[in-house]
Amino acid sequence: MTLQISSLEVGYGKRQVVKGANLTVEKGELIGLLGSNGSGKSTLIKTIAGINSQTKGTITWNGGTDLTKLPRKDLAKIVAYVPQSIGLSFGLDIREAVLLGRTPYFGTRPRDEDWAHVDAAMQRMGLDELGDRAVTELSGGQGQRVLIARALAQDPEILLLDEPTSALDIRYQWQTLEVARDVTRKNNVAAVIAIHDLNQAARFTDRVVFLQDGVIIAEGRPADVYSPELIKRVYGVDVELSVHKGFVQVHPLSEHGHAQLGLQSGSSGPIREHRPVTQREYATA
Amino acid sequence: MSSVHSDPLHPIAPTGSKPQTDHYTSQKLAITIGFAAVIITALIGIRIGTSGATLLDVLETFWSKIAGTTPTDRATLLKHNVIWELRLPRVLLAILGGAALAVAGVLFQGLLRNPLVSPYTLGIAPAAAFGASLAIVLFGATAGSAAISLVIGALLFSFLNTALVLSLASARQLHATTLILVGIALSQLFGALTACIQYFAEDEVLAAIVRWTWGSVNNSAWYQVLALFVLLALAFPYIRFRSSALNAIAFAGDDSAKSLGVAVSQVRLQTIAIAATLTAVTIAFTGIIGFVGLVAPHIARLVVGANHRFLIAFSAIIGALLLVIADAVGRLVINPGVIPVGIIDALVGAPIFLYLILTRQKAIE
Repeated sequence: MTLQISSLEVGYGKRQVVKGANLTVEKGELIGLLGSNGSGKSTLIKTIAGINSQTKGTITWNGGTDLTKLPRKDLAKIVAYVPQSIGLSFGLDIREAVLLGRTPYFGTRPRDEDWAHVDAAMQRMGLDELGDRAVTELSGGQGQRVLIARALAQDPEILLLDEPTSALDIRYQWQTLEVARDVTRKNNVAAVIAIHDLNQAARFTDRVVFLQDGVIIAEGRPADVYSPELIKRVYGVDVELSVHKGFVQVHPLSEHGHAQLGLQSGSSGPIREHRPVTQREYATA
Repeated sequence: MSSVHSDPLHPIAPTGSKPQTDHYTSQKLAITIGFAAVIITALIGIRIGTSGATLLDVLETFWSKIAGTTPTDRATLLKHNVIWELRLPRVLLAILGGAALAVAGVLFQGLLRNPLVSPYTLGIAPAAAFGASLAIVLFGATAGSAAISLVIGALLFSFLNTALVLSLASARQLHATTLILVGIALSQLFGALTACIQYFAEDEVLAAIVRWTWGSVNNSAWYQVLALFVLLALAFPYIRFRSSALNAIAFAGDDSAKSLGVAVSQVRLQTIAIAATLTAVTIAFTGIIGFVGLVAPHIARLVVGANHRFLIAFSAIIGALLLVIADAVGRLVINPGVIPVGIIDALVGAPIFLYLILTRQKAIE
């Protein structure tokens, strides 16, 4: 039961954006897609979602179905896509906004079954008390929850999240990531999330994939693949790594060789001072 | 940390078969009431005007037409003829024209995801005005705005404009912004062409052109009523069938709509073609009636919400009401003179719109 992407190439006009990507995502697994802006994260996700079409390669599901050849409506019953929280206009109420997720399933009239999925998704996302409010009245975090609820109502087997946390403050970033991981596990979906924050990726994803110029250059568990060399190569930033509560963490260095945050004086160095356990953990990890 | 997954065991699956109440009772009620209101205002609208016809006269006329009888005395016959040949097509054209413009407005606003868009955003009105002006110059102003040449001229150039906009914008996959910008460019182009004609035209021709651009139902004819009716009757089921796709495009955006299984470019092309046709045919018959197409959808949204499944029908109702009432007011104010419905419409519509913008911001945003 896997999502299998093989030698995928995607381009806009003459420009190749994704160049021969190979990737496997298991059910119940959350993959973090990392890379600088313009590295092809978004394009890769949109291609799996059927928003872009590939120029070469295949995307198969469960070993058989080629998703790139599936009619749009059938694809939408397998793959759900969560965009960045965008401005929602015209004051649709939340129930209706979540109901959009049922679009591939009903014609003009939603059936009882569709409403049941909407109710369940809203309850799951803690939106049930807000149902009649207009989407325009919501905060960014709530808006993102609506978008995820919409994807859940779609009843997908593959969940794609395209930088869902970029517009959110830290509280909602965490909330969104917890939900993403939670849904991945409980609904047993294959999930891919494009994300900027390396520390959050380390914390919430099972595996990460580094994209650079449309090429996958590293892949594996965050603790295994994160290295100062790789991160320097991808982002052009010098970093130090530590382990905090068992998760690898990335600390960008200033030009003077210190982690940019926590530059207090002290013989034990900034990182150890703030996270006394971590260095030892990292050493034994 | 969060109440988001309050119930960890809750599966994402139907929550059993609890009886679902109908979610849209108020919308259906609003549409029913609105429909009744259209019929009532229409009857009043038919009565208003010359020759002091009563409601009974109106009903009698209907009956004699249905039963195929002809009244024997001349006074009644005259009354029936006025009602049947003048009042009825006029009111029906106002209803259908208002409905068509409002539906076109909803479609454009939703498809282009922009509340400021109207049926004229793609430049149909200036194109139609140019076609009408050309017809007036070529075939003379005396024919009046009911003349078939004028209708054909307006129609021809509306369609030409629409075809141009759609083919130019499809080079960029019919993106909303591209459509609006191409529409602006063509508006300017046809506006300049019309100005050229006006600049060189004689007074009489100029007056005819200007009169046409005011927009009115003064020269309504049965064939126009019939044409619009057939068009709406054909378009409406298709638009309704597409209402959930429209919802997805309007409220989720192009990318998300695609991921929800909607063939965005195809739906947009077809629906814009329909909206443009509704607009073109209406203004070919009535001249340029502004505002209904912009305001009716907003008023409708305040009442029934933004779901296109109900919004389209209710906008049509609001559009019809606005034009029938505007026409009735236009006939009452300087009786026996008539102020064109386009003028009344803007006079009444502008304050309403301002009120909406300033007080009900959320509905407009």
